[in-house]
Amino acid sequence: MKRRGFVKTLIALPAAPALAEQQQQTTSPQTPVAQPPAGGRGGGTGGRFGQANIPKFELAQTEAVGEPAQRFFTAPQLAALRKLSEVLMPPMRGMPGALECGAPEFLDFPIGASPADRQATWRTGLDTLNARAKKQHNKAFADLDAAQADAVIRPLLAPVPWAYDLPKDPAMRFIAEAHRDIRTATQNSREYAAAGAASGRRGGFGGGGSYINPIDPIYKG
Amino acid sequence: MPAREYDVLIVGSGHSGGMAANILTKQGLNCLMLNAGPESDFEHNRVSKPVYDLPYRGFGKPGRLPHVYQANEFNANQWVDETENPYTHDPANLYNWVRVRLVGGRSLFWARQSFRLSDFEFKAGDLEGNGQNWPISLADLDPYYSRVEEIFRVSGRKEGWPEFPDGNFIEPEYGPDSESIKRLAALGKERGMKFSKMRSSGGQNGLASSVNLLLPDAMATGKLEMVANAIVREVTTDKNTGLANGVHFVNRHSRQERHVKARAVVLAAGTLESTRLLLNSGIANSSGVLGRYLHDQIYGISVVSSVPEARDGKRPPGLMGGSAFIPRFRNLKKEEKRDFIKGYCVIISSGGGANPSLFAEYGEALQKKVDSYAGSCVSGSIFGERPPRYENHVRINKDVSDAWGIPALHIEVKDGDNERNMAKDASNTIEELFHAAGWEIVSNTPNFYPPGHSIHEVGTCRMGDNPKNSVLNKFNQSHDIKNLFVVDGASFVTCGWQNPTMTILSLSMRASEYLADQMKKRNIG
Repeated sequence: MKRRGFVKTLIALPAAPALAEQQQQTTSPQTPVAQPPAGGRGGGTGGRFGQANIPKFELAQTEAVGEPAQRFFTAPQLAALRKLSEVLMPPMRGMPGALECGAPEFLDFPIGASPADRQATWRTGLDTLNARAKKQHNKAFADLDAAQADAVIRPLLAPVPWAYDLPKDPAMRFIAEAHRDIRTATQNSREYAAAGAASGRRGGFGGGGSYINPIDPIYKG
Repeated sequence: MPAREYDVLIVGSGHSGGMAANILTKQGLNCLMLNAGPESDFEHNRVSKPVYDLPYRGFGKPGRLPHVYQANEFNANQWVDETENPYTHDPANLYNWVRVRLVGGRSLFWARQSFRLSDFEFKAGDLEGNGQNWPISLADLDPYYSRVEEIFRVSGRKEGWPEFPDGNFIEPEYGPDSESIKRLAALGKERGMKFSKMRSSGGQNGLASSVNLLLPDAMATGKLEMVANAIVREVTTDKNTGLANGVHFVNRHSRQERHVKARAVVLAAGTLESTRLLLNSGIANSSGVLGRYLHDQIYGISVVSSVPEARDGKRPPGLMGGSAFIPRFRNLKKEEKRDFIKGYCVIISSGGGANPSLFAEYGEALQKKVDSYAGSCVSGSIFGERPPRYENHVRINKDVSDAWGIPALHIEVKDGDNERNMAKDASNTIEELFHAAGWEIVSNTPNFYPPGHSIHEVGTCRMGDNPKNSVLNKFNQSHDIKNLFVVDGASFVTCGWQNPTMTILSLSMRASEYLADQMKKRNIG
């Protein structure tokens, strides 16, 4: 660590003029000086902005409030997706299923932001489920019972040994992709993690990881 | 006041650039290192987050990094953004160029698998009869490998096998193999496969990067100046002598262009960036092979089996667990006749589970399958060598430039029958091995990722004794411009099945000592 710190110190040296420039700006008479909040350690005069004077609030995550607005799927498509999610990923072993975790409503967001070919796979796939349900049972897919839904889905199931080699048949490809994504959206949800934690499982299934923040304002990575 | 002239200008700060700086500064040479990206303070930039707090629940922003299969929503910010720094390829011939532009480069993130090349790779041309030998042998590089292994604290089991050269290793005390690994090892022996252990760099505190193992010592000499956010556009040459005399670079933030002078230039920007720089500079290509022979390794082939007596949570103690490493065992003899040249290694892992996608089931029935197979699986995957081919090349695409106005690369690489036949052999061989062990084959994937995916891209400035068919000599020195060196993976003649990092580091060390010696003798600079 000491060696690393040494490197950092030396690498920082060429940036010194930029730092000096910033300091000049903050002491310029034209620059308004931020006042620390009353009661802060700066005592109201002479405290430096950005130090310990600003209280740190505990903020809620945006994903923890409200509910996702539905922008992409049509109402019949979303109804089919909800049914598909319910069938493929039901509540099991005390853990919530896809519906309880809001997986179909969430998927509207990433699929709606995806490249056109992925969007088409999903839209066409859900329309195909409705068309097959209509043909086989004269109902929308969302209105099928478990056995009827199985009769529609089962012929479309295929093992997928490699994520980059999905089935060539468009409907089978859609089911493979949807199954994977419904599982992920369920197991990576706040609800799933909470249920896992409550039942003593380690933080639920999705878990966490080491997230790398944007590294500097311009390096987009 | 005239701008300072440096002894050596180093472009890039990854393993190869870090090694060059380490060696050259210790020899008393004043060096300037230019880094295209910023420094990352990971202690500050890295935070622990639950996946549900990520905007896309771990899916990642759609379409953000289409060529980086290694990217996920946690690490997305570490990779180069293709909208800022694009490259092109024929849509039918996908190429995954996986890049990092930070101080330390890809040395910050590598998998730390640490192997030497053997003479089966250095002298592959003799074995395969096509003349594609390196101009050096293992004996030439052996002392450098040893020093690198000491710096990087490489651990591994010494075996005495010529196809899997031993090194200056820390030998850990391995526990006994599980019964499943022993069973495979006995069967493998009958099939000419030798079972060993993975070799890897321990580094310091879990990091084996130029930023903690190489650059600190270079900085401590007081002879190294490092600059971040300096994107080199062109190597400049003296009109009269033809020698390199510096570089033009662009400030990544302001876009201001500057020129810096040096007595020698060392390119260590990573295989394709170094070659792009030379192509954009219009130099070092009297041979016509600059940009040619781009190759890497095939990844992706995977066979998963299940040990029946370990299923349904009933596995007996000592049956499952652990791993094994099988170095190349194909085409080690001239008389071996197969429908492919070169070879692959196999990585065996015991005690895992089966991915749900392997079963055509859903809901409760699927969960029962997954639970039944949990802990019972043995998998095998490979790293295989792609042959270098003249036609697999990069060139400048004059119609596409990066955000700094620097022309981009067009990459043209196609896999051939050799790769496909090797993959087929690997998947069949591993399946047959598992089958002989009496295990159920759960899946067998003979498919492999597109070229570039291994992040082991090498070639494009290959070294050789003949200036007519190589860009560099055996010291990584340009045949055309004697004060210009390329010390990253671009110099490779063949990549082998091995992770190339130890070889890149050793070549950079050797080249840098040669350069320092030549500068002292006034043969350069």
